[in-house]
Amino acid sequence: MPAVVGAPAGPGLINRSHDLFKIVMRVPDEISDAEARGIINAMPPDIADTLEAVLAPRVRYASIVFLKMLGQWLVNAKEAKASGKKVILVPFNFVPEFVHAFENAVPITSEFLTTVAGNATQGKGHRYWDEAMGLGIPDHLCSASTIELGSMLGRDDLEADAIISCTAGACDANAKIHEFVANYLGIPQFIVEKPVDDSERGIEAYKKSFFRMVDQVQEFVGEEIKEERLRKVIEYCNRAAELHYQIWELKKNIPCPVPNLYNMWIYGTRFTMWGRPEAVRTMQVLADDSRKKLESGEYPAPEELARCGWLYTGYYIDFGGFYNWMEEQGYSYLFDVLDLFFPEPISTENKQVMLEGMCEAARTFTMTRQMGAESMSVAWIEDAIHMAKEMNTNCGIYCGHHACKQTWSVISIVQKELMDRIGAPTLALQGDAWLSGVTPMSSLQADIDEFIRNVVVKKKKSKEKKIRSRGGAK
Amino acid sequence: MSSVTVGTAMQEVIDHSEVVENEFVKKWKEGGGKVVGYTCVFTPPEIIDAAGLFPYRIRALGNPNTEIADSHLARFNCSFCRSCLQLGLDGTYDFLDGLVESNGCDHIRGMYENWQYVKPVSFFHYVKAPHVITDDSMDYYREELRLFMKALEEHFKVEITDEALKSSMEKQEEIKERLRTIYEMREGKNPAFTGAEALSLFLLASAVPDEEFIRMADAAIEERKGSSVSGYRARLMLAGAATDELELVRAVEAVGGLVVTDALCYGLRAFYSPLDLEGDPVEAMADVYMKDMLCPRMYEEYAKRRDFILGKIEDASVDGVVVMHNKFCDVHGVDNVQIRLDLEKRNIPVLALEKEYGSRADVGRIRTRVQAFLERIGG
Repeated sequence: MPAVVGAPAGPGLINRSHDLFKIVMRVPDEISDAEARGIINAMPPDIADTLEAVLAPRVRYASIVFLKMLGQWLVNAKEAKASGKKVILVPFNFVPEFVHAFENAVPITSEFLTTVAGNATQGKGHRYWDEAMGLGIPDHLCSASTIELGSMLGRDDLEADAIISCTAGACDANAKIHEFVANYLGIPQFIVEKPVDDSERGIEAYKKSFFRMVDQVQEFVGEEIKEERLRKVIEYCNRAAELHYQIWELKKNIPCPVPNLYNMWIYGTRFTMWGRPEAVRTMQVLADDSRKKLESGEYPAPEELARCGWLYTGYYIDFGGFYNWMEEQGYSYLFDVLDLFFPEPISTENKQVMLEGMCEAARTFTMTRQMGAESMSVAWIEDAIHMAKEMNTNCGIYCGHHACKQTWSVISIVQKELMDRIGAPTLALQGDAWLSGVTPMSSLQADIDEFIRNVVVKKKKSKEKKIRSRGGAK
Repeated sequence: MSSVTVGTAMQEVIDHSEVVENEFVKKWKEGGGKVVGYTCVFTPPEIIDAAGLFPYRIRALGNPNTEIADSHLARFNCSFCRSCLQLGLDGTYDFLDGLVESNGCDHIRGMYENWQYVKPVSFFHYVKAPHVITDDSMDYYREELRLFMKALEEHFKVEITDEALKSSMEKQEEIKERLRTIYEMREGKNPAFTGAEALSLFLLASAVPDEEFIRMADAAIEERKGSSVSGYRARLMLAGAATDELELVRAVEAVGGLVVTDALCYGLRAFYSPLDLEGDPVEAMADVYMKDMLCPRMYEEYAKRRDFILGKIEDASVDGVVVMHNKFCDVHGVDNVQIRLDLEKRNIPVLALEKEYGSRADVGRIRTRVQAFLERIGG
């Protein structure tokens, strides 16, 4: 039984994760099975399970590269704080490369820190959630942001110097908790508003809001973004985006050669170090490794039974284990909503053009583009159908994160439309994506298993039979 | 228990405020009139009125049944929105000729998407209200109001003139004047109205034609002059949730907490700020409906909301504040934490209540919590 109760009160989420990741950064990129076992054995049981999956041989090398990148991200934040640079907290659906463009500021991403805490710290982040609950924050708020911000509210952690909030218009839960933390800690908050309007007028309004934030942050940091530094950042973004699309193409193969876990590594990179050389290296490793798997025909199950499109987020409470388990059953995890960012190459012509490119990337960023649209269901359905067709998915799975009021309010429409328009059945689960105490992983696995075996596979076999009876099979 | 003699004028108000499709709405429809429903305070009813249409503010009146709505929205959505959707889908709101959505919160956006998806009305328009007040966002909202007018004109084949707008604004001001008078009469040393009665009057104001409301409100005001509510233990303020639950306020008052004022969007926040009747009508409406609604979905405006509550506590000699939010409401849920902390810092007694909208099962619990609160504050 995991020793949650015995978890040390210790420092806050960022400080603790930083200390743990400093150990990860000393691990060589390539380690043997015995060395991996040694590391896993040094961990408390609730973390060891996750680490075991992350260090599974088929994903080990890429995982270590990714984790070391994350370690660098945490080190950057700590060093920045110590040297008087500004640490700016951003939500996951903001472009961190904007902050990377400053010499005197670094970004930390609330939801990704929560994910780190849930998988790298003993007790899976519950203690930080409890800090927020202790203040009276409602339990229906999103654990993705509340766990990290609970740590900051506990005043025993690295405190951000300012917050960039970009969910006004796209997510009440996220925007409100960020506002609360800014008020509680007495730090400034710079807001980018997403009008629920994708007309030219709405795009223009977003742009004005974005550039208002640019001015505010430059003034706060006390630094004008320098064109040369920005250009470098954008070049790294563009290269990472190229690699993102390469991986995208690889995923279209049957069976999918891109391990399920890499989806998390891709958007983990997007949310933290995009615009930095470390992100390019991570994306390169993910692409190269997936390509190798395609060439060798490596797939962990005898047959790919289901090509799953996760319509919203995944579950992060048993980070690696869950994704590897799916893959071992022959259930490929092709995308979730957090993968749905479609970066356009940004021209490096001049500073204004580059900032405008960033602005457009932020406006069309994952979640903002769906939930911040005029119609949440229409935008979401369009993206889901596009993805399903691209990836040849044969089912949808909705994680049913209970804090997400927008997706819950239109999932019935999305389910119906996906069935009517592309014949894809959708499983709606209920479980908190970041809090392990809500729905047990075993229960989620059982539901997924039942759905795939009784609905998806039967549908697939019946379709194959029909094709064969028409003499279409080769 | 708070009590006051209910005369015929007040009884008429109560009777009409407790039904969705009241007899005035029926008469309006029988005469060939059209009714347009809206929910959020970011939709100026003056615009609908100026188009010769009847602006009706959607309410659920504490309806606890949500079976149909629950097959579309989820149990993780606010029960007020589910209740409204239920009434939209079960036929109660079939008298509406149009719906106006505004992006008040994530739940209400979902409510309108499902309503329009399952049972579309012929006129549907979305007034998109910004969340931050800047010169640019004010321009955007003013343009939204113009687009709204245009949409009404095109669909209903009418013309909205500046004169009609000004006339509607004047009528709305007359209504708001009555409501302000009623609130002054309840906030005074000897409150002339209970909180439940004030809510009935408020609900009536956006559910019957203007002249009918003015007639009934004037009669109720006249009837209550010199009266005062007796038998209460403490003077309370209600703040927070979007709620039109008469039964909830009655439950609070039944145990001796007289609600003498509020900071609710189905209440004072919707009418305290007067429209400028002299200037450009669109400018005037945008200024009030964007800047003064004190809704927690507005960012960079928390201090204004807090100061409004502090001001009303002073004006109405409030003994304690009850901040409520419907389960799963993020905007009020979080704002209420800040409000509670700020009131506690000033030693103002505060009770934070999370509740289910319209749930009869919740009423007993709420009564118990309020009773305990009244004991705590010495009422």
